[in-house]
Amino acid sequence: MKSKAVSKLPGIMLALVLAMAVTACGQASSDGLPSGTPAAEPVELTVFAAASMTETLTEIAGMYKAVEPNVSIVFNFDSSGTLQRQIEEGAVCDLFISAAQKQMDALDASLSGKDNPKGQDYVEQGTRVNLLENKVALVVPEGNPKGITGFADLAEKLKAGGVLMAMGNSDVPVGQYTKKILASFGLDETELAKAGCITYGSNVKEVTTQVYEASVDCGVVYATDAFSAGLEVVDTATKEMCGQIIYPAAVLKTSRNREAAQAFLDYLKTDACMDVFEKAGFSPAE
Amino acid sequence: MDWFPLWNSLRIAAISGVLVFFTGILCAYYIARLPRVVKGILDVILTLPLVLPPTVCGWFLLMIFGLRHPVGQLLQQIGVRFVMTWYGGVLAASVVAFPLMYRTARGAFESFDETLAWSGKTLGLSNTFIFWRIRMPACRQGILAGAVLAFARALGEYGATSMLIGFTPGRTATISTTVYQLWRTGDDAGALVWVLVNLAISAAVLLAVNLLERKNRQGRRAV
Repeated sequence: MKSKAVSKLPGIMLALVLAMAVTACGQASSDGLPSGTPAAEPVELTVFAAASMTETLTEIAGMYKAVEPNVSIVFNFDSSGTLQRQIEEGAVCDLFISAAQKQMDALDASLSGKDNPKGQDYVEQGTRVNLLENKVALVVPEGNPKGITGFADLAEKLKAGGVLMAMGNSDVPVGQYTKKILASFGLDETELAKAGCITYGSNVKEVTTQVYEASVDCGVVYATDAFSAGLEVVDTATKEMCGQIIYPAAVLKTSRNREAAQAFLDYLKTDACMDVFEKAGFSPAE
Repeated sequence: MDWFPLWNSLRIAAISGVLVFFTGILCAYYIARLPRVVKGILDVILTLPLVLPPTVCGWFLLMIFGLRHPVGQLLQQIGVRFVMTWYGGVLAASVVAFPLMYRTARGAFESFDETLAWSGKTLGLSNTFIFWRIRMPACRQGILAGAVLAFARALGEYGATSMLIGFTPGRTATISTTVYQLWRTGDDAGALVWVLVNLAISAAVLLAVNLLERKNRQGRRAV
């Protein structure tokens, strides 16, 4: 870790010097001393975020340019489980936004024990917030070839066989919600998988694409993914089926720019950002 | 333990291996005879899957055979479906493995001494006879190498396969997609089993090739 940071130092210094030379900023001296205007230092924030936030966060990053011109944001979008693994394997990350509490819990030292069995300490205490809420949606390809009308109807059709459903695997939060929904209808996922009724995607976008391409008869994704892909939603899961879907966010201890990361996290909670999130199907977390 | 992925991988690799063996040889034979420009163009098109990332091949296959696209819809009407079925796996593996067979067979044919074929003609032999009994035996090493490479590539295909047929346990799961899924779900022990299975098959294939080559060399020395 340390050596990585050190090896990047010359690059950062060079960027700094270049930026100063280009802007010909009178206050800044080329010997690298702090100039007293923090805004003059270009900062690069690395944000690890659930794949379901791809469109909204990309839009917000564009908006943030006007608020903090010196902060550039680099995203890594993937399933929260993959992101968690990457963080555990030492990836440098300033801000982590997970699509479920589970992945954040596993990195939060204040939950050592049950939710964080390995006692991992990555979350900067006091920065963790519940940012958003999402819904789980049942989507079908154009024309709804199998005439699926809702989760209850899907449960009947799965029992009868002859329907191919796409869901996230057990590592993907949306896959875990899907499993709960199936269980709430008294269906055993393992049995269905054995019968060849389930195909597994390794993140939510893969499931979305498989439905969009009509490769499968239906799929379970987030309301936000259904919205961004323009898919027909035939049903959304209730709190009783799979609980609430909360997106927690936290600044990580590996961050080299904790203040900038916290500032961006605060910005995400402003009305301007919530408008963007709500337009895409999210709602603010209670 | 469910051994379906092994069976599925083997049948996909075997069928696409056979398909690619014959189409690769035929293309190599006929294209070598075409005018230079046409040959150059076809050569590029047929070799592309070798240098393209498999995901790009997968994307093209999905855009052609996907059920939202004309060809896919047409095939669906006559009951053929390449998405989310194991035949789709054969298609994906064949496309990706084809250039290996085609290139090696062409290389072998180009180094073939054509006077042997002409001598055969002067003796009144048919083209078919010359092809199968003179040309093919003379080129057997290159052709064998191509076939093995194509089979191994088909067995290990992941990118295009996962895009076209996904991962449906008991239907489309192959060894490579199973390893990936098990790793993704944190089951490293399960992944290790399949990694070992794959290593065993690959080692067996390579060993078989070495044995065949040695036999070939010995045979040649005796002549």
